[in-house]
Amino acid sequence: MNDRQKYIRNFCIVAHIDHGKSTLADRLIEATGTMQSRDLTNQVLDSMELERERGITIKLTPTRMKYNLDGQEYILNLIDTPGHVDFTYEVSRSLAACEGAILIVDAGQGVEAQTLANAYLALDNHLEILPVINKIDLPSADPEKAKKEIEDVIGIPAMHAPCISAKEGINIDSVLKAIIKEFPAPRGNEDAPLKCLIFDSYYDNFKGAICLVRVFDGKVKVGDRIRFMQGGTEFDVTEVGFFTPSPKATDILQAGDVGYIAASIKKVSDAHVGDTITNALNPAEKALAGYKQVRPVVFSGVFPVDGSKYNELKDALEKLKLNDSALDYQPETSVALGFGFRCGFLGLLHMEVIQERLEREFNLDIITTAPGVSYKVYNTDGTMLEVSNPSNLPPTTEIEHMEEPYVKMNIFTPPEYLGSIMDLCQQRRGVSIDVQYLDDKRVKMVYEIPLNEIIYDFFDSLKSRTRGYASLDYELSDYKTSKLVKLDLMLNGEVCDALSLIVHQDKAYERGRAIAEKLKNVIPRQQFEVPIQATIGGKIIARETVKAVRKDVLAKCYGGDITRKRKLLEKQKEGKKKMRSLGSVEVPSDAFISILKID
Amino acid sequence: MKEISIYIHIPFCKSKCSYCNFVSFVNCENYFEEYVQSLIKEIKLFSKECKNTIVKTIYVGGGTPSILKAESIANILNVIYANYNIDDNAEITVEANPNSLTYEKVKIWVDAKVNRISIGLQAKSNKLLKLLNRPHNYNDFKNAIQQIKRAGITNISTDILIGLPRQKWLNINRTINKLIKLKVNHISAYGLILEPETKLYKQVESGELKIPNDDKSVKFYQKTRKKLEKNGYFCYEISNFAKIGYESKHNLNYWARGEFIGFGVAAYSFYNGMHWENTTSLSEYLKNEFKKLNIEKETEKTAKEEFIMLALRTTNGLDISKYNQIFKTDFKKEYSKQLNKLINNNTVKIENEFLKVIKTEITNLIIEEFF
Repeated sequence: MNDRQKYIRNFCIVAHIDHGKSTLADRLIEATGTMQSRDLTNQVLDSMELERERGITIKLTPTRMKYNLDGQEYILNLIDTPGHVDFTYEVSRSLAACEGAILIVDAGQGVEAQTLANAYLALDNHLEILPVINKIDLPSADPEKAKKEIEDVIGIPAMHAPCISAKEGINIDSVLKAIIKEFPAPRGNEDAPLKCLIFDSYYDNFKGAICLVRVFDGKVKVGDRIRFMQGGTEFDVTEVGFFTPSPKATDILQAGDVGYIAASIKKVSDAHVGDTITNALNPAEKALAGYKQVRPVVFSGVFPVDGSKYNELKDALEKLKLNDSALDYQPETSVALGFGFRCGFLGLLHMEVIQERLEREFNLDIITTAPGVSYKVYNTDGTMLEVSNPSNLPPTTEIEHMEEPYVKMNIFTPPEYLGSIMDLCQQRRGVSIDVQYLDDKRVKMVYEIPLNEIIYDFFDSLKSRTRGYASLDYELSDYKTSKLVKLDLMLNGEVCDALSLIVHQDKAYERGRAIAEKLKNVIPRQQFEVPIQATIGGKIIARETVKAVRKDVLAKCYGGDITRKRKLLEKQKEGKKKMRSLGSVEVPSDAFISILKID
Repeated sequence: MKEISIYIHIPFCKSKCSYCNFVSFVNCENYFEEYVQSLIKEIKLFSKECKNTIVKTIYVGGGTPSILKAESIANILNVIYANYNIDDNAEITVEANPNSLTYEKVKIWVDAKVNRISIGLQAKSNKLLKLLNRPHNYNDFKNAIQQIKRAGITNISTDILIGLPRQKWLNINRTINKLIKLKVNHISAYGLILEPETKLYKQVESGELKIPNDDKSVKFYQKTRKKLEKNGYFCYEISNFAKIGYESKHNLNYWARGEFIGFGVAAYSFYNGMHWENTTSLSEYLKNEFKKLNIEKETEKTAKEEFIMLALRTTNGLDISKYNQIFKTDFKKEYSKQLNKLINNNTVKIENEFLKVIKTEITNLIIEEFF
C-alpha cells in the first residue's frame, strides 16, 4: 500500500428506509465543508424530483469529501445506495466498490428488515461494518437497546457505535473519526493492469453514458483506450473526474479512487452495472467477480390513452432506457388498447417511477395494465414458453403444467401482529419457513411466497395490518409448479384483453367477483347499461352492471347559467378524452390498474 | 330592430334558504332605496347602447323582488319604459315570495304593466319548508295566489323542487295536486342541485340530512312530468311545464340564445356577442361603480356549443335550418358522426328538420357529444 491510498476511505451508508441515511449523508457533506449548508437543499444526494417526493433514493451519487484529522488530510468517498428492494443488485455493486459500510439503526425502532438485508449484503461483500445509532434526540430513543439488537440479531459488535442525531447534527464528528479509524484503506496496485468496477451509470446529453467507477487496480486518464470486459466493447476515454457532489474533471483516476469515466458511450446499456473496465492495450486477466445481467421481474402493458401518441411513447421509452438499463420494453398489440409496449421492471417501485416519469417528464397520458410476473408454461408437446402477457397464454388443452416465480421473504414485526401477518401470508399462498423471536419485542418471519401475490398491494396490506410496524424484504428464490388459470373480463359482451389476468385456480372465483365489482365502481355511467362479466375458460363466474346515466339536466338553466354550464360541459368533455373507448364503453385510464387494488 | 330581454336583479331576501347560492343579502332593508337608485342609474346609462332594439320581455328576479316597496318596482319599470323601446305585448314578470305579497302590492305592479308573476313554493309540506329555512308556509302561498288573481293576473308560475331532503313521491304528488287545483298555469320543476357552501350542502355532507339518490330523483321527475302532462301542462323545456300559451317568453329567449341585458348586482348579460356579469359587490354597486366581470367574447365554437346546449333542452329541439342559417354551415354534415351514433343509440331523433332528444334525462351527455 502506498501513501496516497493510505488516506482514502471508500464507504457507503446502508439503512432501513427512514432511518436517516440521506440526512446523515447531508451532514457528512456539510461537516467536511464539501458544501455549505445553505447550498444543501436538504438531502442533496436524492437529486431526482420524484425521489425527493417519495423520500427514497433511487439514483446514486458518489461524493468525494475532504476531512482533516490530526493534521492529515483524508479523502472520503461516500457512495450512496438505493434503499429499495427493487434495486438489490445495484446496492450490491455499490457495496462492492467500498471497503466499509455505515449501518444506520434508528434508536427508537431498532433493527428492521432492510437493516438486516443490507447488513448481510455488506457482509457478503466483506465490508467492515460501522454501526451508527441515529435519532438519539427523539423521546422514544433507546440507544442501548438498539445496540444490543444489532449484536443479537446481526451478530456484529456495537458497543462503541457512535450515537448521533443526523437531523440535529449531534456527534457527526465521531462518525467521521470512526470512518477513518474503522474502515480499511484501499489496497490496489497502481502499476497493475486497469480494473474498474462500474457501480452505476447515467446518461449525459453532451458526454454520453457516464460510468461511475471504483478503480481497484491501475490508472485511467483521458485518451486511454478502455474495454468493457463483459460487454466486449471498446471506447476512448474523453473525461475522468469525481463528484463534489457536482462533477469535477481531473487528470487521472488511480487505484483506490472513486470517480467517473466518460468515453462517448452512446447508450447506458453499453455500460452495465457490475461490468469491469480495463485498458484495451494492457488488459487485466480476469474481470471482477459478481457481475450479473439484471433481468426484469415485473411486467405490465403500457399504452397511450390517445392511440396516435404511440410514437411519442416509443421515443419517451427510448429516452428513459438511455438512462436505465434495467428497463425493458417490447412492442405489444392489444385488441382493446391498440399499439403499445410490454415493459419489464425490476419491481413495483421501478414500475411506478417509470410510469410517473412518462407522465410527468414526457407529458404523456398512459394506460398501464395490471402488473404481472413471467410464467413458465410447459406445453404438451414438450416445449417451454415464458409468458408475461396473459393474452399470450396458450389454450388450456395445450398446457401440460405451469410454473410461477417465488420469493423468499423476511418480515420483521412486533409479536402482537404475528397472527394477522400469518393470515395475510396464507391468503397470499405463502408458506412459512421460519418464525424466530429475536427478543420479546420482535419476531422475524420467513416465508416462501409467489411473487405475483406480493407485487401489488402486499406491502400496503402489511403496513395497515401492523400499523406500519412491520418491515419487509425479499429476494427471488425459484420457479415452482402452480395451478394457474386465465381470468378474462368482458365489457358489454366483449372480452377486454387488457384486463385479463393469470391467477391461481383457488382464488379465481373470488378474484373475478372482486374485479367485476371494482370495475362497476370505476367505470362511469354511460348512455346505456354496461354488463361486466368475469369468465374463466368461457364460463361466467361473476356479473355486475353499470347502470345508464340517469340525471344530469334537471336543474334550472337561466341566463347566467349559460356560460357556466357550457364551460362545465366543455370540462367534462375534456375529462372524457382521458378515457379509452373499449368497443362502445368508455373506461378511465386508471381502471386497468385499479382492479388490483382489492383487499 | 333587434329583440332583447331585460333582467333586473333584486339581491335581497328576508332569510336565506338553505339550498340557495344565488347572490342575495339579508337584513339590508336600509339599502333598498339606495339600491333602487343605483339600478335606475345603470338602466339609464346603458340605454344609449340599445337604440335599435325592442324589448320583448322584462323579468324582475332575485333574491326576492317582492320584499321591496311595490312603488320601487313600479319606479324601476317606468324608468325602463321611458328609456327603451318596449313591445306592446311585452311579457313583464316579477318574482315573489308568498310571505311578502299583498293585494295592494300586486295592484301597484299591475298598474306598472306587470302581467306575470313567478312565485316560489318549492314544496307543499310545511315541515319541509321549515327544514329549508323558507320564510313562509303553504297557507301563505295559497293566500298569495288568491291575491294575485284578485288583482287580475292569470299568468302565474310556481317553482317546485325535486330531490329535497326526506322527500318522497307522495310529497311531490300532493304539491302538484294543489297547484293543479289552484289553476297555476306554469310550473317549473327543478332538480335540486347541492351547491357547495350552502347550508344544505353541509347538512348532507355531514350526514345530518339525506337527499334522494339520482335514481330516485329521476323517477320523481319522470312521474312529475307524466302527471303534469296528463293534466294539460306541456313540457316545453326539460324542467318547465305550461298550459298552452303560458310558456315563459323570457326563458324561451334564453334557450333560443337570444340577447339579454341584466341590471343589478351579479346580473348576467349577453349582448352584441359579449357575455358578462355585473359586480357581485353590493357596496361597489351602491357607489354606482358598474363593473363588468368575466367578460367573454363569443367565438364560433362557443356560439355553436351554446346554441346546441340550449336548444336541446327544449322539447321542440334544435331548429336545424336556423342553425344552418346562423352559422352558414350544414348541421347534419358537420355532426354526421355524432348524429349517427346518437340516432343508433335511440337517444335523439330528427323530426321535420328539428333535432330532438328522446332520452331527456341524459341530455347533458348528448350535448357533450357535440362539443
